[in-house]
Amino acid sequence: MPAALVALLLLDLASVQPNRIVPGQGMSLWAIMGPASLLLVLLPLGVGGLAWRASSERLLWALGLTLLAMLGMPWALAGFCHVFIDPDAPYARAGLAAGFWVVLFVFMLALIELKGRLRLPPGSWWVLGGLMLGSWALALASGVLDKLSLMQEYLGRSDKFIDALAYHSLLVASAVGVSLMLGFCLALAMRRWSRLERGINGVLSLIQTIPSLALFGLLLAPLAWLADRFDWLAAIGVQGIGAAPALIALVGYSLLPMTRNTFVALADVDPGVIESARGMGMSPRQVFLQVRLPLALPVLIEGVRITSVQAIGLAAVAALIGAGGLGTFVFQGLGQAAMDLVLLGALPIIVMAVVVDGLLTALAGALRQGARDD
Amino acid sequence: MSAETLPGVSEFPWRRWAAPFAWFSALAGLLIVMPHLGPLFAAIDPEAREPIYRRDAFVDLLTNHLLLVAVASTIAIVCGVSAAIMVTRPWGRDFLPLVSQLASIGQTFPPVAVLALAVPWLGFGGLPTVVALVLYGLLPIVRNTLVGIGEVDPATREAARGMGMSPSQVLFQLELPLAAPIILAGIRTSVTVGIATAAIGSTIGAKTLGDPIIAGIINGNTAYILQGAILIGVLALSIDSVFARLLPSRH
Repeated sequence: MPAALVALLLLDLASVQPNRIVPGQGMSLWAIMGPASLLLVLLPLGVGGLAWRASSERLLWALGLTLLAMLGMPWALAGFCHVFIDPDAPYARAGLAAGFWVVLFVFMLALIELKGRLRLPPGSWWVLGGLMLGSWALALASGVLDKLSLMQEYLGRSDKFIDALAYHSLLVASAVGVSLMLGFCLALAMRRWSRLERGINGVLSLIQTIPSLALFGLLLAPLAWLADRFDWLAAIGVQGIGAAPALIALVGYSLLPMTRNTFVALADVDPGVIESARGMGMSPRQVFLQVRLPLALPVLIEGVRITSVQAIGLAAVAALIGAGGLGTFVFQGLGQAAMDLVLLGALPIIVMAVVVDGLLTALAGALRQGARDD
Repeated sequence: MSAETLPGVSEFPWRRWAAPFAWFSALAGLLIVMPHLGPLFAAIDPEAREPIYRRDAFVDLLTNHLLLVAVASTIAIVCGVSAAIMVTRPWGRDFLPLVSQLASIGQTFPPVAVLALAVPWLGFGGLPTVVALVLYGLLPIVRNTLVGIGEVDPATREAARGMGMSPSQVLFQLELPLAAPIILAGIRTSVTVGIATAAIGSTIGAKTLGDPIIAGIINGNTAYILQGAILIGVLALSIDSVFARLLPSRH
């Protein structure tokens, strides 16, 4: 919390930029609000003070204040845009400065800490998270934040953004889908022929060790050569650059966590349970489908989670070899030194990774709970 | 770990270190041979005007790549292990849930995004790359150190205290040695990701082995891409083979 105070008081919270390239004029909280800024300082001060001698009641109040800050943030920004950005200057925009990010980060930390300390029903955190995302989504959709530099970048390429988002998700989903099927087969093969275990593990960890940029590069040349030689391959879209090497590399990276988790999940099922299922007269097929697989599901989902999060990040690198997706904005932005464009690519990637991680963790947890209740 | 598997004091176990030795020889060999393979790469990519990447010597790129990773990993190891030690002491325990949650949430952030977000803050070049490598490299180390120390049997710790060991003796003679394999596994993950991320660092102006790949992609020169990719791949496998020897086998 002291960090939030320092950030609020000293760092520039936001900036006013006449256009995209000229760096903005930074403004601290005091410059924005004058003496009224003292009211806002009370927020982190209050949260910090309440957490000092923690009782669950005080922590609830702290949670309320943090929530207020998080919900209010987009609307405060909207107010800033309204007051300080000249509506008649078409290229004027409001940038977010270091102070804003520090404050956002500290309140996030406070939320994580409160989540650890307060024993609230798990569903309530989903509601709170939804409320916060909803507040931002509403502010963004209603147009009051349109003068924000990030939104200016988005408005300039909203079609491309939607395409990139859809494409990124599609790439990740197909990589995870393919590796789930392949990984499942490999794990079954490893169970049947135990001599394969070492070899498969060795090859898969070798692939995992090769840096993504290098693997994309290594796939590029042979694929270009193949597409050149065989017309039918080129006809189905195999090329040196683009989606083909990206998908192959993503599947390659995904196979290790997927195969290992599936294998461990299937092997770790309590032998006593299997024995009693057999004793009840179930056929091997029934034992596998009705007992072993459902019991292994939580660990299997864990593999899907690791793979998905990893693939979301790697798909961003794939933009370098022309695979499209959100990484395109990141590298375009880096090339043009347009940092808001970088953010437009990087922020959705991070949000996507965190959300997918949360959802799949919750799913695995629910399945575990279900297995225990049966 | 049994006595035979420990490296002998009098005799260096050549057989055990054969794999890393072979990988590093391959790396050195490639560095020496690569600049003379012009005709080969010209045959692979006949359209390339210049078959060998010559803007920087491969040796310089490799040295700089390794330097970035080494600096970042050293900082990450020192900070990560000490942070994990601090929050497992009695006086720092209040921060344990926060730090461990932060380490696991942070790991869901894609390394590319961390790299890209360091630029608006620090500009282009080697510095933002090192900072991104440190920030990202910290997480597996913190997490594994926490797990390693957490897995030390409380009864063992109690026994050590009962024998009259001071808290720092318990830490250095009991907890850290017992946690070492898990910490080392964390460092391995951290370094592997570091080598990969440093390669992408050349998109933000760090001089690394990613340079030939990026230059090749921009100019449509497959030969450059292959040269960079082969060297990065062999480098990563060389370093990883050392870790594979240091860690007790999983099988």
